Amino acid sequence: MIYYLPTIYSNEEGYEHLAELSLATKSLFADRLELNFSRVGFFDANMAAPLGAVLARVADDLNSVEIVDVPSLIERVLRKNRFLTHYHYEPLDDSNRTTMPFRRLQLSDEGLFEEYIKRELRGKGIPRMSEGLGKVFKKKVFEVYQNAVIHSESALGIFVCGQFFPQKRRLDLTITDAGIGIRERVRRFLGVKISSVRAIRWALQEGHTTKKGSQPGGLGLKFLHEFVRLNKGRIQIASRFGFYEFYKGKETLEKMAEDLPGTSVTIEINTGDTAEYCLESEVTPENVF
Amino acid sequence: MTEPIIVRVVDIVGGPICVSAEDGQRLYEKIAPLLREGKKVALSFEQVETLISAFLNAAVGQLYGEFPEERIRELLSVRDMDADDLDVLKRVVENAKVYFKEPKKFDKAWKEEVGDGDEE
Repeated sequence: MIYYLPTIYSNEEGYEHLAELSLATKSLFADRLELNFSRVGFFDANMAAPLGAVLARVADDLNSVEIVDVPSLIERVLRKNRFLTHYHYEPLDDSNRTTMPFRRLQLSDEGLFEEYIKRELRGKGIPRMSEGLGKVFKKKVFEVYQNAVIHSESALGIFVCGQFFPQKRRLDLTITDAGIGIRERVRRFLGVKISSVRAIRWALQEGHTTKKGSQPGGLGLKFLHEFVRLNKGRIQIASRFGFYEFYKGKETLEKMAEDLPGTSVTIEINTGDTAEYCLESEVTPENVF
Repeated sequence: MTEPIIVRVVDIVGGPICVSAEDGQRLYEKIAPLLREGKKVALSFEQVETLISAFLNAAVGQLYGEFPEERIRELLSVRDMDADDLDVLKRVVENAKVYFKEPKKFDKAWKEEVGDGDEE
């Protein structure tokens, strides 16, 4: 089949378009997908992560995937971040080091993710980004990645991609899994048919975790939220029919028109933030337990 | 007073990045048997660079499912920890106490709110 991808921004509409692609290719089996980019006016580089997840599922259904007619400016970005090299394009050198390359990792590849973050964050607003901010950001990214490892059941792995905008002093990083989604996880846990939107709202509450048994949880997303609020950054979560965004103190939670399998979390940080993140604490080793 | 057994977290994890629940579980499996024997344990976070709640939930939070708070306070201590990591540990500990005291309380309230049949 030939599918014409529209413009993809990192927003609700962009995720809806990827959900449409997922739906259109759902029953394609042992066939061919030609993904035509000629109608793509703009493509937010971090969205290569959720697109990669959709295409991985298509390929997993024994289809061949080709990407064609990519407008030259978009092609440059997607060759620089190595997304298109998975589809037989030559890589382009990222001389300005503004990309966080597209990577597909298996759930067990945690060590590789650590290396990726360590290597790729260098030069992305650091040292302009204060050491404290860089450290805190890294922690939040690991929390998100760990959520995917623990909860997603993503047999196709985890997809990461990001972009640094030096002029805007912004760094976007998206972590996507192709797993069961927040809705399914919460449904199994609560035993009720909760909607995607409500499932996301549930998962964002402090102390809420779908982990059962001996290990408590439910702090990772809460910490991420607190950090983004202080940093004046942005969080986006797209999972099945649900889309959540927190930006400039405003939360939106919407139902998407189509079902996007798995979960994508985007963290956008303000790398120009000079706030001190090593706050004075009243917690001491003597009173911590 | 007996000196605690010092458990160096970097040695158990094998590096300075303490981010996975799996590594946290390995640390838990080192600590829990010592506490069961009534031994004092000091967790040293020296050289730890990155520490997150997913790791601490498994390593420390989980202890509250087996040991009373007073027993943990008596036997377990931490050292060489940054202020922000101590903050995270405190949140993990408080969360664990609630989780093991009334794990179903929140869930019941939510079940009532969301109801059934909320299908897409």
